[in-house]
Amino acid sequence: MKRRTFMMSAAGAAAGLALAPRMSFAAKDTIDWYTGSDTNILDFWTNTVKPAFEAAHAGIKLNLVDAGDNAGILAIADRAIAAKQTGTDPQADYFEHSDPLLPAGAIDAGIYVNMAKAGLSNYSKVNPLAIESEYSLPYRGSQVLLAYDTTKLKPADAPKTWDQLVAWIKANPGQFVYNRPDKGGSGGNFVRRAIHQANGLDPKAFKVDNYTQEFADEALGKGWKLLTEIAPHLYDKGAYSSGNTQSLQLLSQGVVTMIPVWSDQVLQAIDQGVLPAETGLVQLQDLALCGNFSRAIVLDNGVNRDAALKLADFILSEEMQGAILTELGGFPGVSWDHVSEDLRKKFADIIPQSIPTFPSGKWEAAINDGWYRHVAPNVDRKA
Amino acid sequence: MSEFVERAAPPLAETAASRRPFGLLLVAIPVFLVIWLVIWPAINAISRTIWRVDADGNTGFDLSSYAFFFSDRYSLDNLAVTLWTTMVCAVLLLVICLPIALYLRFSQGRLPAYVQALAILPMFVPSIILAFAFIRVLGPNGMIDILLNAVGLPKIRTPYLTPWGPVIGLVWDNIPLTVLILLSGLGSVANQFIEAARDVGANAFRVFWHIILPRISNSILVALSFSVLGIFSSFTLPYLLGPASPEMLGPFMQRTLRDLQDPIGAMTQAVVAFGFCILFGLFYVRSVARNRGK
Repeated sequence: MKRRTFMMSAAGAAAGLALAPRMSFAAKDTIDWYTGSDTNILDFWTNTVKPAFEAAHAGIKLNLVDAGDNAGILAIADRAIAAKQTGTDPQADYFEHSDPLLPAGAIDAGIYVNMAKAGLSNYSKVNPLAIESEYSLPYRGSQVLLAYDTTKLKPADAPKTWDQLVAWIKANPGQFVYNRPDKGGSGGNFVRRAIHQANGLDPKAFKVDNYTQEFADEALGKGWKLLTEIAPHLYDKGAYSSGNTQSLQLLSQGVVTMIPVWSDQVLQAIDQGVLPAETGLVQLQDLALCGNFSRAIVLDNGVNRDAALKLADFILSEEMQGAILTELGGFPGVSWDHVSEDLRKKFADIIPQSIPTFPSGKWEAAINDGWYRHVAPNVDRKA
Repeated sequence: MSEFVERAAPPLAETAASRRPFGLLLVAIPVFLVIWLVIWPAINAISRTIWRVDADGNTGFDLSSYAFFFSDRYSLDNLAVTLWTTMVCAVLLLVICLPIALYLRFSQGRLPAYVQALAILPMFVPSIILAFAFIRVLGPNGMIDILLNAVGLPKIRTPYLTPWGPVIGLVWDNIPLTVLILLSGLGSVANQFIEAARDVGANAFRVFWHIILPRISNSILVALSFSVLGIFSSFTLPYLLGPASPEMLGPFMQRTLRDLQDPIGAMTQAVVAFGFCILFGLFYVRSVARNRGK
């Protein structure tokens, strides 16, 4: 009994030490960098950007931190707002990808740097189509495509429009799967494509500030109807994988024939042999699946604000933008004129004509909640 | 500090009474941690879900988030699947672990040592690794399918992404704790009792039913309440192996808080989960108290 009590106290004390609030402060000249993106992005920064940046800027170090997901980034932004109010150190300098409109009021609180006025030497190279706000810096893009197994589906027969895709899914039950929309963008943007389909193929109909409960109920409701119709023909009569990677796993194990994928993730997977070279890629021609640019944010009250701006400028350099194409399989954030000539020729096929987008903010919560309530449950999988 | 050290090594002959302050000091840390990390957040969550600020900025007594939870089909389905998973896991754990514990208690030699090592193994496997191993083995076109295919049998209906996925994972994950608790309970069954019963002609079943079971019923209760508490609030395995809907309360809470940015909804779900866990916990406390009373 005595020993057990001792063990319990020891374990309790250890847990207490681990959980006690960290009293550390951000180190000077070490940029605290956060991402909510997938592992391939973190790998790219760890293996490519960090060594190159640290070599080019002696004395500045990068501390790369995985915040888990977008909600994790927002939690740190909340912390930065609180730190601003109390004049303390937010222990964060750079967000790899976030939306400056979130958390609500962040720009007014003054925690984000205005990139257009920050004096970045490479700012003028940024693709004007990608700029959404002066407070964020588009530096890479990716788009959702359909990936399929060419041994089971000939490239000539691959669906080119939404209607052909739905017809194919119904004709090949169990051969298509997409992930839960809140657990990864490939499934998320497939769901958004269905919402576009149900609302006149007009991406401009949805704006970050035109969300109302009535409009959402009506517009999303039509999308849920389309998705519910195809649900019984999906993998395992309406199962949804729990992330981008899990969908790729189902395709690589030959369980399904087609999945929606992120362009960068699938190019990397083929490159590393996770997916076979026989993987085909196709984009819908009537309206492409959504994609987006990832936009970096620099925190104005971060201890290393100036160093973080150097990093923002560095990531727009021709060397790094080229690496985004070759190492990451993403699209550059700068205009194509600022990408080297040979790379421009090599990637001519995947240069997108347009990248439809879908606003986040309240729409995101409405889509996440609505899909779980209306699409996920209404399936009798035993039938 | 020096006082601490002196007290830490009392002479063995010292009376129990003089040791009491040291004992209390030892318990103080865990008790403080429980109050700080569990009881206070729980009280906080309960108060924040029932005293809420309304549209006019007045704070008042408001049970609407609970009313919503208990009238919302979707939330109730999630609660139901959580209770179903917990109950099925508890029954399966008992069915699987009791024979293992009995075997380990009443056999000798080298083989039981290996069986015990195998039964304890899941304790050292992190659940995220378990989940991905599960997908590779029992998942679609996984190892089982490949083996079945090799001998010309049809594929199995994979439990991956169905309610049975988390059940299989959670049962495997909870075997070590259950076996260990049952085994320690079986330690209190003296060999003489069994030999005496055998001498008067009791068969194996009667020995189990009349001699062993009454002596370990307490351990069974403890083992079940421990694993049930863990299973009820599990997250990783239901998230990775379970279906999108209905989902267990763990993933549901996480999603409500982070993806839907609805802290009150998530806290309401948490309070409902506390409620059920307190019920399970009462069994444990009652059985411990009864044991002490003996």
